[in-house]
Amino acid sequence: MEELQYLNRRKFIKGLAALGLIAVTSCFSTISAKPKEDIKITILHTNDVHSRVEPFPLDGSRYQGLGGAARRSSLISNIRENEKNVILLDAGDMFQGTPYFNLFDGEVELEIMSRLGYDAGTFGNHEFDNGIPGILKNFDKAKFPFVTSNYDFSKTDLAGKTKEYIVLEKEGIRIGIFGLGVSLEGLVDPKNYEQVGYLDPVEVANRIVPILKNKEKCDLVICLSHLGYSYKDDKISDLTLVPQTKDIDLIIGGHTHTLLDRPTEVRNADGKITLVNQVGTGGVRLGRIDYIFNPISKEKKVSYNNNYDINTKFDK
Amino acid sequence: MRLNRTFILFYATLSLLVGCKTNYLPQVTYANNIVVDNTIPADSAIIAFYTPYKAQLEKEMNKQIGYSNHYLTKVRSQPEFLAGNFFAEAMLHVAKQIDPQTTIALATKDGIRAEVKEGPITVGAMFELMPFENTITILELKGSDILELCDFIAKTGGQPIAGFTMKIKDEKPVDITIAGEPLDLKKTYKLVTYDYLANGGDYIKGIVNPIQRINTPYTVREQLIKYVEELTSKGQNVNTQLDGRITILK
Repeated sequence: MEELQYLNRRKFIKGLAALGLIAVTSCFSTISAKPKEDIKITILHTNDVHSRVEPFPLDGSRYQGLGGAARRSSLISNIRENEKNVILLDAGDMFQGTPYFNLFDGEVELEIMSRLGYDAGTFGNHEFDNGIPGILKNFDKAKFPFVTSNYDFSKTDLAGKTKEYIVLEKEGIRIGIFGLGVSLEGLVDPKNYEQVGYLDPVEVANRIVPILKNKEKCDLVICLSHLGYSYKDDKISDLTLVPQTKDIDLIIGGHTHTLLDRPTEVRNADGKITLVNQVGTGGVRLGRIDYIFNPISKEKKVSYNNNYDINTKFDK
Repeated sequence: MRLNRTFILFYATLSLLVGCKTNYLPQVTYANNIVVDNTIPADSAIIAFYTPYKAQLEKEMNKQIGYSNHYLTKVRSQPEFLAGNFFAEAMLHVAKQIDPQTTIALATKDGIRAEVKEGPITVGAMFELMPFENTITILELKGSDILELCDFIAKTGGQPIAGFTMKIKDEKPVDITIAGEPLDLKKTYKLVTYDYLANGGDYIKGIVNPIQRINTPYTVREQLIKYVEELTSKGQNVNTQLDGRITILK
C-alpha cells in the first residue's frame, strides 16, 4: 500500500490513481484468484464421427485404417496427462454410418463419448434419422450436455433436455459454448422433425454471443456448428456466418466432412479473426487448438484492443 | 519498488480501460489437427467396452444371404450404375407383392450408400448399402407428375430407377417409356420409393403430391435382404445388369 500512498501524493496522477484504485478494488477478488503465469486452454474436437467405433476397414477407401475410438481415447488421455485444461467437444453427426448404430441405437457411440470425457456436443442432422424417439432412446448414456441453440424442442419430448449454451470454467477462464444446427428440411424425413422449430443461425448467434460475453463474462466463445464449412450457393455456412457475427473465437464445424490441416481464419463483423475448424469424418483426425491467456503485462498494449494474437507458428 | 509502482499504476489504468473480465488476452499458439492412425496405441479399456457389441454385430453382419455375379458399383457421374439398378429392382419386386399394379421404382444416388462386392452377399453389405430405417412407400401418380419426376431425373444426370426408361437430351427427358409403352400424361401410375423421398427428401420433384399413398411398415433394408434370400432359395444369384434404362444423348 506504500506505493499507492506515494501515488496519491502525486497531483498529476491523483485522479487517475483514484480511479485505478476503484478498478483494482472492484476487481480485487478476480486478481487475487488468477495466477500470474500463462493459462493454457486446450480445445480438442471431433465432428461427423458417424458411428465409426472401429478404424475404417483396409478396403482401399480414402480413410482406410484411420480413426477408431480406442486410439482417440489414448490420444486424448495422453494430451490430458500433459495439459492441465483440456476441453473435448463434438460438432454433431455422432450417429449413422456403421451397423453399430442400426443395431444398438446410439448406445455404443454415447457410451464411448462419455468414457472419453466429452464436455459437450451438438446435434447433426443424422441424430434425427430415427426421430426424437431415436435421440431419446439412449440419451441417458450421454454423461455430457448437448448445446442446441437454434433448434426449438419445446413442443417435443426433448424439451428441457438440451442446453441453449453452457459455460465451463478452467482456472478462472470462462469458456462459453453454444451450438448451431443445420436446417433439417430436405435432409431429414419431415415426420422425424415436424415438431422441431428451426431458428435462424445468425440471429441466434447474435443473441447468444452477447449473453456469453457480457452477462456470463466469458473469455472464450466457442460455437459448435453443424451448418457446414461452405457451399457453392448462398446457404448459411461457417464461412458465411462469421462476417455476420462478432466475438466468436472459434467455430468447430461439421456436416460437410471438410478435412482441414489447421483452422481457417475468417474476419468477423468487427474485422477480428474467428477461427473455423473441421476434421473430416469418422474420427480420422482430432482437432486441437490451444489458447494461451496472458496476465496483462507492459508488453501488451491495451490500445490494440485485439482479442487475438495469432503467432507465427500458427501461420506456417 | 519502482517496478511495483509502475506495475500497479499500469494495472489500475488497464483495469479501468478494459474492465474486470477481459484481463487476459488469448493467444492461439498451436492449432494442428492430429491424424488418428496406427501410430497411436489403442486404449484397451475402450476396446474391452465395445468388444461384446462387436461380437454380436459381426455374427449378425457376416451372415451370408446370397451371391452376386458382379461388383455392384456406384458411379455418381453415370446415368445408371449397378448398385442403383439392384436397389430399384429389389424395391419394385417387393412392391409388386404388396400392390401388383406397381410398375416403376425410384431411389436416389444420395440414398445408395455403398457398393456391393462380387461374390457372397452378407447382411452387413445390405446394411452398408441402406443404413437408414426408411420404409417402402407406394405412390399413385399422374402422368404429368411422372413427367415432372423425369425432368428432375434428367436435370440431376440420372437417378436409380426400375420399370421405366428414358433418354436425357440437354438435361431434358425424352422418349420416356413405362412397361414398354410411351408415357401417357392422362394415365396414372404406381411408383414404389421410400418414405424419406415420398416426404420430400433429397429435393425430389414430381412425387410429393400423389393421388394415393400406401405406407408400409417394411424397411427397405429388410426387403433388400428378403429379395436376395428369395433369389438364393430359388437357386439364383444376383445378376444385375446395366441395360441403358437411362442414357444421355450427346
